[in-house]
Amino acid sequence: MASVGLTNVRKSYGALQVVHDISLSVDDGEFIALVGPSGCGKSTLLRMIAGLEDISDGEVTIGGTVVNAMTPRERNIAMVFQSYALYPHMTVGENMGFNLKLAGVTKPDIATRVGEAARMLALEDLLDRKPSQLSGGQRQRVAMGRAIVRDPAVFLFDEPLSNLDAKLRVQMRTEIKALHQKVGTTSIYVTHDQIEAMTLADRIVVLNAGRIEQVGTPMELYRTPANLFVAGFIGSPAMNLLDGTIDGENDRPVVRLAEGSAIDISPLRKVRRGQSVKLGLRPEHLTAGGDNIGGETLLVEPTGAQTHVLFEFAGQQMTAIVDGDHPVRHGTQFRAGIDKNLVYVFDRESGVSL
Amino acid sequence: MTDTSSTVRVSTATRLYVYVSLSLVAAIVLVPLVTTALGGFKTLGDLRLNPFGLPSEWVWSNYVDILFGERYWRQMMNSLIIACVTVFLTLVVSSMAAFCFAHIRFFGSNQLLNYFLIGLMFPAATAILPLFIRIRDLGLLDSYWGVILPQVAFGLGMSILLFRNYFRNLPEELFQAAFVDGCGYIRFFWYISLPLSRPIVATVGIVTFVSSWNSYILPLIMLNTESKYPWPLGIMVYRGEFGTDWQLVLAFITLTILPTIIVFFLAQKHIIAGLTAGAVKS
Ligand SMILES: Nc1ncnc2c1ncn2[C@@H]1O[C@H](COP(=O)(O)OP(=O)(O)OP(=O)(O)O)[C@@H](O)[C@H]1O
Ligand SMILES: [Mg+2]
Repeated sequence: MASVGLTNVRKSYGALQVVHDISLSVDDGEFIALVGPSGCGKSTLLRMIAGLEDISDGEVTIGGTVVNAMTPRERNIAMVFQSYALYPHMTVGENMGFNLKLAGVTKPDIATRVGEAARMLALEDLLDRKPSQLSGGQRQRVAMGRAIVRDPAVFLFDEPLSNLDAKLRVQMRTEIKALHQKVGTTSIYVTHDQIEAMTLADRIVVLNAGRIEQVGTPMELYRTPANLFVAGFIGSPAMNLLDGTIDGENDRPVVRLAEGSAIDISPLRKVRRGQSVKLGLRPEHLTAGGDNIGGETLLVEPTGAQTHVLFEFAGQQMTAIVDGDHPVRHGTQFRAGIDKNLVYVFDRESGVSL
Repeated sequence: MTDTSSTVRVSTATRLYVYVSLSLVAAIVLVPLVTTALGGFKTLGDLRLNPFGLPSEWVWSNYVDILFGERYWRQMMNSLIIACVTVFLTLVVSSMAAFCFAHIRFFGSNQLLNYFLIGLMFPAATAILPLFIRIRDLGLLDSYWGVILPQVAFGLGMSILLFRNYFRNLPEELFQAAFVDGCGYIRFFWYISLPLSRPIVATVGIVTFVSSWNSYILPLIMLNTESKYPWPLGIMVYRGEFGTDWQLVLAFITLTILPTIIVFFLAQKHIIAGLTAGAVKS
């Protein structure tokens, strides 16, 4: 186990810079998720930590040692790939023991350690099978087994669950979390699924276009997003955003929307009169039956316990989450209340939270 | 019983067409083979009067004499040694070279690859004179190596091409996973690439074997001692000695073709798999 540190790390492919000046420190035993839209540089960053990609500039440390020039093996990292990358010609047992074999561990020791890992992952009965004879979830577990067998300093995951169906993904997510609680190895987990990041990680790093937008615990990112990008990225369904201008008294500021209505915001927000802002409302913070905003119901999506309601307000579509029992019908008027302490305000120019 | 094969249902007409054309191809291949094999059972007179039919009297002694003579076995052994060493060297050299071309970019790597591929266009026969001079200068005339080395060299273009395409189609993440597990290039080659390329090893091996087995010009130029002759040269000797005894020549040819046919049937599956590898992503 070890801490991981990135200092001013950059990556360029020729003239194209894809990772800009990233600094981050990951504590020993911490589970960090890297999230961000496709192409933002998550995999590239992870692969630089792994040693599969040259670091154009900056420093990567593992356990306090600078590892820039080391091979993946010397860095003592283990990696789980999106495609699992199991060796097709080796049995499950051989796959899991391969790195030990290369490291010169004796056969009986390999068998013991592979056996332990297999027990932990419920793979004992599959050790003699080839990867082609396994289901997707089993392959995924073998890939994890291959990583834990060697007891590495750091686990690196690159979208390990994206090839699984929804149900299996949830199940494997739980298993990964349980595994991390058991072995406690420092983990860095790349995903574009923010639910996965929220449920698994101690801290989340939100990346956008090769830069860090915000680092924090899942609840910090959810409660106090630093800017519009994070606000829009964390939370599902995504936050509703409306254009407006600051108005009202100093101790009772409001956001005046384009069509005229005014919405109260917390007096603690650092805003000034006349400032152009974006107003952020989380769908789950809109309480049905209230009387702040409303409009015609465009679409009703029941998901069971909750129902997602799409309605029109201020000339755009808004989403609200209401209780599954709450009666809503397509085409009727939907009205919702807002708690002014749960209203986000962002500067429209810079996107920074106010 | 459920039909798990992916047979496509076709009309009777199509079926008829397929069978007729396949039979035609089979006949074109089989007639000379069968004629040769049957010819070996005839007397010379019978062969002259009735070259294509069944023997009027089955003369087993033609075959038996060859099988119990020393020449046949010695020449088969020569052919076998030359072919096996050729196959071994071709596999070792071409798989390693192809691995480098597939995974490592170095200065001039593309030019070097193209240089090898140009070799595809020249059969050994076109370069026979300079080849002879070079082999003579190396002092390898009248030795197995004088045949083996040129054969390996001329086979490299095709073999490297087959291996390289296969290596390049192995998933990139496999390479990275192995790298993380502690492989360098050499261990990756040995533990991952090579075991996974069994179909190509089989294809290259068999194609090389067959072309070495049948090669005539190179041994003719490079070898002088009759005891070192592979079988295609051996036939020539037969023809010289028994100028009129065609039935013996035919029996001899039949006995030399037989091993190739047996090997081909045993390895058929691999050959076809290798030649079509990469055509469809599995
Ligand atoms: N070998 C390369 N040469 C040039 N550009 C590259 C190369 N590899 C990646 N890139 C670019 O770097 C950027 C980041 O790629 P990366 O694979 O890290 O994205 P990602 O965040 O993992 O995306 P995804 O979620 O789709 O996997 C992309 O814009 C990509 O086009
Ligand atoms: Mg990626």
